[in-house]
Amino acid sequence: MYRFGRILARLAFALVLAAAPALADGRPGGSLVILSTQVPRHVNGALQSGVAVAIPSTQIFASLLRYDAEWNPEPYLAESWQVSDDGLSVTLKLVAGATFHDGRPVTSEDVAFSILAIRDNHPFKSMFAPVEAVETPDPGTAVIRLGRPHPALLLALSPALAPILPKHVYGDGQDLRTHPANVAAVGAGPFRLAEFQPGEHIILKRYENFFLPGRPYLDEIVIRYLPDVSTLLLAMERGEGDLRPFATGSQEIRRLRQVDRLAVTNAGYAALGPINWLAFNTRSPKLADRRVRQAIAYAIDRDYIVGTLHHGVSVAQRGPIVEGSPFFDPTVPAYDLDLDKARGLLAEVGLGDGLQLTVDYVPGLVEQQKNLAEYLKSQLKKIGIDVTVRTSPDTATWASRIAGHDFEMTMDTVFNWGDPVIGVHRTYLSSNIRPGVVWSNTQSYADARVDALLEAAAVELDPARRKQLYAEFQQIVATDLPVYWLNLLPFHTAYDRRLGNPPLSIWGVLSPMDELYWIKDK
Amino acid sequence: MTGRADPWLRRFLSACRTGPSAVVGMAALLVVCAMALYSVFLDGRDPFDIVSLPHRAPTFVGPLPLGTDYLGRDLAVCLLAGAAPTLSVAAVAAGLAMVLGVALGALAGFFGGRLDDLLMRFTEFFQVLPALLFAMVLVTLWSPSPTTIALTIGFVAWPPTARLARAEFLRIRDLEYVVAARAAGAGAGHLMWRVILPNAAPPLIVSATLVVTTAILFEAALSFLGLGDPDTMSWGQIIGANREYVLDAWWPVAFPGLAIFLTVLAVSLLGDGLNRILDPKSDGA
Repeated sequence: MYRFGRILARLAFALVLAAAPALADGRPGGSLVILSTQVPRHVNGALQSGVAVAIPSTQIFASLLRYDAEWNPEPYLAESWQVSDDGLSVTLKLVAGATFHDGRPVTSEDVAFSILAIRDNHPFKSMFAPVEAVETPDPGTAVIRLGRPHPALLLALSPALAPILPKHVYGDGQDLRTHPANVAAVGAGPFRLAEFQPGEHIILKRYENFFLPGRPYLDEIVIRYLPDVSTLLLAMERGEGDLRPFATGSQEIRRLRQVDRLAVTNAGYAALGPINWLAFNTRSPKLADRRVRQAIAYAIDRDYIVGTLHHGVSVAQRGPIVEGSPFFDPTVPAYDLDLDKARGLLAEVGLGDGLQLTVDYVPGLVEQQKNLAEYLKSQLKKIGIDVTVRTSPDTATWASRIAGHDFEMTMDTVFNWGDPVIGVHRTYLSSNIRPGVVWSNTQSYADARVDALLEAAAVELDPARRKQLYAEFQQIVATDLPVYWLNLLPFHTAYDRRLGNPPLSIWGVLSPMDELYWIKDK
Repeated sequence: MTGRADPWLRRFLSACRTGPSAVVGMAALLVVCAMALYSVFLDGRDPFDIVSLPHRAPTFVGPLPLGTDYLGRDLAVCLLAGAAPTLSVAAVAAGLAMVLGVALGALAGFFGGRLDDLLMRFTEFFQVLPALLFAMVLVTLWSPSPTTIALTIGFVAWPPTARLARAEFLRIRDLEYVVAARAAGAGAGHLMWRVILPNAAPPLIVSATLVVTTAILFEAALSFLGLGDPDTMSWGQIIGANREYVLDAWWPVAFPGLAIFLTVLAVSLLGDGLNRILDPKSDGA
C-alpha cells in the first residue's frame, strides 16, 4: 500500500512535470480538507516554524527556494541563485511577475526585509546569524552579504523557515511579534488566507495571480482543527478529511492503513528529522564517565523498541543526524544489545554493585516517551541500574526541569530542521550550554574536537569536505554519547488515493501544495 | 443468644441474619487485603519487569495467566502488586477526608453562629468546585506521586463529611444528656470529643466507607487521565496506561477494572452492613 502510494506519487509527479500546466490525468479545481490537532495562534512563519504555523504559513507565503524529495533546491521566488567563490555573498534573481495577495509586486526590498526580520525574530538564530546585510541593486536582484561562509543558508531559505513577507504590510513600524497581519496574513504564496477562526479552521483560497502559471490546481484548502487524535481518526474514517499529516501513534497509523480510500506513508518528514532520544546529564557524577552511558546504550534494544513497542511504525535512528540526510554517517557504532558488555563496562567503572538513576520524559507522546521511559526501567534493571521514572504533569514543567539541568536522564524529541547547523549543532556545541534554555546543550557536553569540527562544518562550502567533517563529528559523539538516539518519530501522512502529487518532498506538508490536484474520476 | 452477650457482637450477629452484605463485603475486602499482602511476597518478581512480548492474551492457566500489557509486563503480577498502592492511597485519602471533615463539621455544628456560617461557606466553596477538576489542578501543581495523589483526594473529598458531621453535632448538642454534661461543668473539648462524637460516630463510620470508594475511583480517574505516577503500579495506573490500546488488547484494562469494581462493591456492602449494625434502631429487628 505504502509502496503503491509512492509509485503513484512519482508517476503523478512525472506526469505533471511533463504536462504542466495542463493536467493529463487530473482536473483543476476542487477543495482539499486537511485535519490537524495542532492549533496555530497565528500564521506568520517568520516568527516560528512549529508544525502548527508552518502548514498554513507555507501556503500563504512563498519563499526563495523549495526542495524536492532528494534534498535538491528548486527555484521558487528565486529563479536562480549564485554563491560567490569566497562564500560570503549569495546573489538571488527573483522571478518576474510575482505579486503579493494585495496585488503589489514582490521585490528585492521585500526579500531584504524578510530575511532581516527572520534573523531578528525567529528562535532558530543559527539560520541567518551570519547575515550582515541584504543588498538590493535592483528590484529583481537581492544579494545576501555574510560575515562568514554559511552553507546552511540554502536550506534556511526553505518555505517552512523563511517566508517572504511584504515589506509594505509588515514593515510599518509595528512590532512583528504582535503584528495584526500575523493573523490576517498577506503573502505571495499559492493560496491566500480567506478565513482564520482560531482553534476551529483556516480557509485558504486559490490566489488567481500566483506567479507560477496554471498553479495552484486546487481552488481551496481547508485546515480543520480537531480537539484530539481519536476524534480526528474517526473523522478520517468517515471520509471528512482528505489529508492527515503528523499521525504518530501506532494504533492511529494502523487504523488509517485499514481505510481503503487512504494511502499512508512516512515520506515527507526527512527535513524535519524528528529524533527520539535518551539524553544524559553529563554533569551528574553518576553519568560523567562515558562508559556508564555506553553501558546503558548496550542495554537498550532499538529493534525491540521500533519493532515491538512501536508495532513496526517507527524506524531506528543511530546517530545525531537523521538517517535520511545526506550528512548521516552509517558507520557510527550502533550499540547492538549486549547485556554482558554493559555489565562489564559498569564493573570497569566500579559500579558493578549497581546504581540509581532517574529518567524524565515529555508528557504527551505516550508511546514515544513515557512507554520508553518505562521500558528503560525494566531493561536497565538487568544491568543493575535501578531507574525511577519521574513524571511531569505538563510539558512546561518538564521543560523547566530540563532547562534548569535538574535531571539525570530524560527522554526527549529534538528535530533536525534540515541543515545540521539549524537543528543539530545546538545539542553538542559547548558554547550552547545555556542554563534556562530547553533544547540547548542541556547535557552539558563539552568536547573541544566536536566544537572545532562543528565550527568548521558550519563554514565549509565544499559538500564533500563538509560531509567528512560531519562524519568525524558523528563518530565522536556516538562514542561519547551525551545522548543516545533511539528512533525517528513515526510521523505519517494519510492522504486520499485520488490526490495527485501528495506532499512527499523533504518538507512534506510544510511546503506549498500548489502542485496538488484531484485525479480525474474514471 | 444470651442477654449477657456483648451488645456489639449481638448486633453483628443479628445484622448477619437480617442482611449478609456486611459479611460478604468484609470477606471480599479481606481477599483484597490478602492480595495486597501477598504482593509483598512476590519473591522478587517486580511488576515492572518486561517478561514477554506485549499484549499476550490471557490463558488463565500457566505462566502468564492474565496475559501481558503494552510493554510485555505480567498482568497478574501487576494486578497483585497494584492492590497495596490502590488500597493505601484510598485509606490515606479517606483518613484525611474524615479528619478534615469531622473537625470542621464538629466545630461548625457545636458552636453554631458566626463560626458555623464561616465554616459552612468555606465548605460550600469547596463543594461547588468540580471535585475531579480540582484534584487535577492540585496533582498538576504538586506533581504526581502516591503521597500527593492521596493528599489531593483527601483534600477534595472532605466536604460531604463536614456537612454530615455538622448535622449530627447540631442535632446531638441540644439532647438532654449533652445538656446534663454541660451543666456538670464539662468543657467544649470534652463535650465534643467524649460526649457527642461517640454518639455521632455510626453515620460517620458509614460515610467513611463511601469516602474510601470515592478515593479508589478518584485515584483510578486521575491515573486514567494520565496524572498518575508511572512508578507506582496501582490499578488505576494500569488502566490509564493501557487504555490507548484497548482495541488491540482488552484484558489489561478489563482485569484491573474488575478489581476496582469488586473492591468498591465490597467496601459499599461493608458500609451498608455497618449501617445496619451500628444503627441502634435496627437492634433486634
